[in-house]
Amino acid sequence: MKPLNEMREVAVGGIGVTKWGFYENAEWFDFGSEAILNALKDAGMEWKDIQAAFCGSVYQGTGSGHQAIKEIGLTGIPIVNVENACSSCASAFRLAYQTVAAEIYDIVLAVGMEKMPRGPIPSTAFRPWELKLGFNVQPANYANIAVQYMEKTGATIEDFSMVTVKNRRHGTLNPNARFQKPVTLEEVLNSRLVATPLRLLHCCPLADGAAAFILCSKNKLKSKHKAVTVAASTLTSGVYGEGYPPADLTPSLKYPAAMSLTELSAKQAYEIADCGPENIDVVQAYDTMAPAELWDLEELGFCKPGEAPHLLREGVFDLNGRIPVNTDGGLMSRGHPLGATAGGQIYEIVLQLRGQAGPRQVKDAKVGLAHAMGAGPNSAVTIFKC
Amino acid sequence: MNNGEKRIIPLTEGLYTLPASPDEKPHLIGSRCINCNELYFPKKEKGLCIHCQQKTLEEVELSRQGKIASFTIVLQPPAGGFYHGPVPYAYGYVDLPEGVRVETQFTGNFNNLEIDGDVEMVIEKLYENAEGDEFVTYKFKPLKEQK
Repeated sequence: MKPLNEMREVAVGGIGVTKWGFYENAEWFDFGSEAILNALKDAGMEWKDIQAAFCGSVYQGTGSGHQAIKEIGLTGIPIVNVENACSSCASAFRLAYQTVAAEIYDIVLAVGMEKMPRGPIPSTAFRPWELKLGFNVQPANYANIAVQYMEKTGATIEDFSMVTVKNRRHGTLNPNARFQKPVTLEEVLNSRLVATPLRLLHCCPLADGAAAFILCSKNKLKSKHKAVTVAASTLTSGVYGEGYPPADLTPSLKYPAAMSLTELSAKQAYEIADCGPENIDVVQAYDTMAPAELWDLEELGFCKPGEAPHLLREGVFDLNGRIPVNTDGGLMSRGHPLGATAGGQIYEIVLQLRGQAGPRQVKDAKVGLAHAMGAGPNSAVTIFKC
Repeated sequence: MNNGEKRIIPLTEGLYTLPASPDEKPHLIGSRCINCNELYFPKKEKGLCIHCQQKTLEEVELSRQGKIASFTIVLQPPAGGFYHGPVPYAYGYVDLPEGVRVETQFTGNFNNLEIDGDVEMVIEKLYENAEGDEFVTYKFKPLKEQK
């Protein structure tokens, strides 16, 4: 196998996104095609330039990408649909990246789109006997991790609440976020209890929307934007022995995982990108639930286990902090359109590295990392450089 | 069929042994790998060890007592309409001394739940249907409440 860092460099030719929110009168193919057209315009390319398409979604059913692309026009290119839970868009992005890096195609589209089902969604991760016992409440599954994290690190419910406060504060600067109003610590701490110790405002909201990317070889770049390249795109789909209740995984006590799936995907990404966490200027971490952002940052290597709550309190993860995290408001502000979520993260990193993030611009951002997780389990790390 | 008599029905078959007499205690049924010694709950129906990929699993009765690894008290009903038990309810994980973690509901006074707390397995009603049939399941209960 040829090492990935010896393959052809892949650049981000164009990016496109929709506003995140609830679309009562539009379907995924409507905002999927909108994001694709936005990316095409941003790239300064023609639709006929696209040589292949990888389309991520979770709940849209068979041929969902074809439906979005039909809105623009079929051109004979291969369209591949990717369902990989909350990492669907990162997985579609990775396939697009690989086909350009391997010099199979020069210009490839990756898109993630989702119109979320209305009402509660039972995950397919749980077996019938577990559903009958009520083990499929995702905030409760995160709560089971959170209480162990609190026990191990001394983190408090206030620490978790401060993640929500920070991300919602960042979200006020993102015109595409579903929630653009800040929340106070008191509002989070007084919101409805969902599964002890977690409350409603520790959970990210749902949302509909889409994000699209055109990946290409550097010589095919057409736009005047600063060139951003993909330094690594890794995917780890579970390791033996790691417990991850949201994906119905109980840890092995006899053979515990030497490295978590997040640690493994991050390690692989840093090796391929030839950098370490100390080189990352801006991070999009996986904040489906507020406490998850803290252990995520630790497992991605930004600090030692148990240190994240202290660094959060010191403002290290703030927009103007040493390691700005979830600069667009994260899932807490954008919302969680499963198949598009990782695309929202990638979009923000590219915007930051181009220097186009407006009032939330991180100064001199040159290297950025996006991390998506989710059921499966999956952990997808994407690193960009400019 | 029903004769007005209340039936007691396991919520799911095969998760625990049914005591034949009142002096016998129920046990959870797991799988042990005779090749790598890994343990599982519930038992693996296919007999394949997902750690060493050998078909070397044997059925074992698991310990009735363990320690709470984590727990949460859930205040909203689960999605999907599969769950018919009460809300709030508590669930989490219990570590058994032979080295296996078990996902379980907890019963008893939820104020007595604490990480590392000692718990014992019991068989208890989860809910009753319209005909009065009782659906029962394994749960774990704080040891200090056991008599």
